[in-house]
Amino acid sequence: MMGLGVWLHELVSPTMEAISPYLPGDVFPYFFTMDMFQRALLASFVITVIAGVLGSFLLIRNMALIGDGIAHVTFGGVAVSMVLAGVPTLPMATFFAVVAAVLIFELQDRGILEGDTAIAIMMTGALAFGLVALRIWGEGITANVERFLYGNVLFVDDASLDWICTIGIIALFLLGVIYKSLLATAVDPVAARVQGIPVKAIGLTFAIITAVVVVLMVKIIGALLVTALLVSPAATAQQVGKSFRSCILWSQFFGMFSVLLGIYFSAEKDTGAGAMIALIAALVFLVVVVFKSIVTRLSPLVSKLMERTTI
Amino acid sequence: MSDQNQVSLEPILEVDNVTVRRNKTDVIKDVNLVIHRGEFVGIVGPNGGGKSTLMQSVLGILRPVSGSIQITGGSPNSRQAYGKMAWVSQAAAHLPKKIRLTVQELVSLGVLNHKNWFIPGRSTSAQTEKAIEMVGLTHLADRDVNNLSGGERQRAVIARALASEAEFLLLDEPMVGMDRASRHALLKLLDEFCHDHNKTILMISHDVAAIRQTAHRMIYLEERIWFDGPPPDFPSLEEIARLRGIRDVHGGHHYNHSAEHCGGGDHTKPSPVIIRKEDE
Repeated sequence: MMGLGVWLHELVSPTMEAISPYLPGDVFPYFFTMDMFQRALLASFVITVIAGVLGSFLLIRNMALIGDGIAHVTFGGVAVSMVLAGVPTLPMATFFAVVAAVLIFELQDRGILEGDTAIAIMMTGALAFGLVALRIWGEGITANVERFLYGNVLFVDDASLDWICTIGIIALFLLGVIYKSLLATAVDPVAARVQGIPVKAIGLTFAIITAVVVVLMVKIIGALLVTALLVSPAATAQQVGKSFRSCILWSQFFGMFSVLLGIYFSAEKDTGAGAMIALIAALVFLVVVVFKSIVTRLSPLVSKLMERTTI
Repeated sequence: MSDQNQVSLEPILEVDNVTVRRNKTDVIKDVNLVIHRGEFVGIVGPNGGGKSTLMQSVLGILRPVSGSIQITGGSPNSRQAYGKMAWVSQAAAHLPKKIRLTVQELVSLGVLNHKNWFIPGRSTSAQTEKAIEMVGLTHLADRDVNNLSGGERQRAVIARALASEAEFLLLDEPMVGMDRASRHALLKLLDEFCHDHNKTILMISHDVAAIRQTAHRMIYLEERIWFDGPPPDFPSLEEIARLRGIRDVHGGHHYNHSAEHCGGGDHTKPSPVIIRKEDE
């Protein structure tokens, strides 16, 4: 049976090939013709679309670092699956991530800890657990864990692409269903609760979606770069957007822009794709902030000048 | 304030012998309170006197250790109560500052309830627009709430509550951080809701003078309800202290000043909606 990812791949592949001759660079056009690279591009785009939505909500909730946190938590899951040989990695990593996300949510919800502190405790705890478990029960398999933690967008096979697209579409659908109530919950939890919105259930759903998506992202762009796609485009979007909805769209735009530019430079300069994407995402933020502050500084001057000329 | 009084004898809120404990101390003790449809009730009292605690209990966030609270005959978290109340939080303190959110987006959140929270439908936009119009923000509907003045922001939050079409509005210190003109306008607006739209309002405020001038009924809460009656009868703080058997009234209540001024005047006539100079 053909999976969703493969289907999507076949759908867009002719278009990608058609535009490849017009693209700059020596290596970059291959990303639009070679199967392997097409998959990498497609996977990054799908992730970017979801990350734009998730990231915007994470910003309100002051949980910018949840991506990084959960990514490191998955290390614990990966370690366990390696120690218990035969247990598949991804489900175990997902399990760890979901448990951690729910715990972080509960700690915040009960007012025991602020977002960042809860994330930090979960992250270091699970990471340390993974290290200890590996040292005690499994000797000499750290190398594999490293690879999982860093990930590589260029190693996305058909099966992974299917996973990414399937989970991605489910996540987007769920987020679409709870979009308004999630926003209401984030903006004013008390008012939302009084209105009859199931605030707690929505918070938990969001935590679980975040966890599952982050695990997927870890597999593609690597743990240390998850935060880049989750937060940088969303933060950049806040500088230019006018409404929450437009910020989500801007966030997806900046995400895709970073992915394209990142892959271009990594292909041409032969660097890691994930690292380059993250670097570009941060640079895009910097450029937009500087540009915006120049514009806001200049606009009174410009209007003054205009006044003078009209008088 | 107009004379037409639409207060019915139908209770919308019944607080019966309620005691709420926080950190092992009783913040409010044996509080009894009935609010009828169409009333505009202002609660005053010192910090830590239990105003917010009472409000949170009514909203169903805090659970009383004894006594019962009924909203139109159902407990605060029951299906009967859903959709009857709307919470107007203090815009100055509670609106998220880090994100872009237009007035329209904020107000449209008010339309959600226990039945439609998962439907992202657009059919709700008429309700949203009407609510924005009621608070007079139509021309600012597409503006980011972070770019509004304090008064406009609070109006947006009120519009969110109006969009729910709940009849009972609960407000927490809505006038914090506003200039005099905005406070005046806001109080007038709330008064209009009571008279023209048959809303019931329960409002917490530090601003004794403002409450005196607008509310139909005033409550002084400090662990218990020490005063509950029409604003013209509201006693000076000295009288309240005498009631409570406390001599030192200048114990740092930050509205002492205006309360004394208001307490000295002629109580027989209801005061017009004028914000006094001393309030600044």
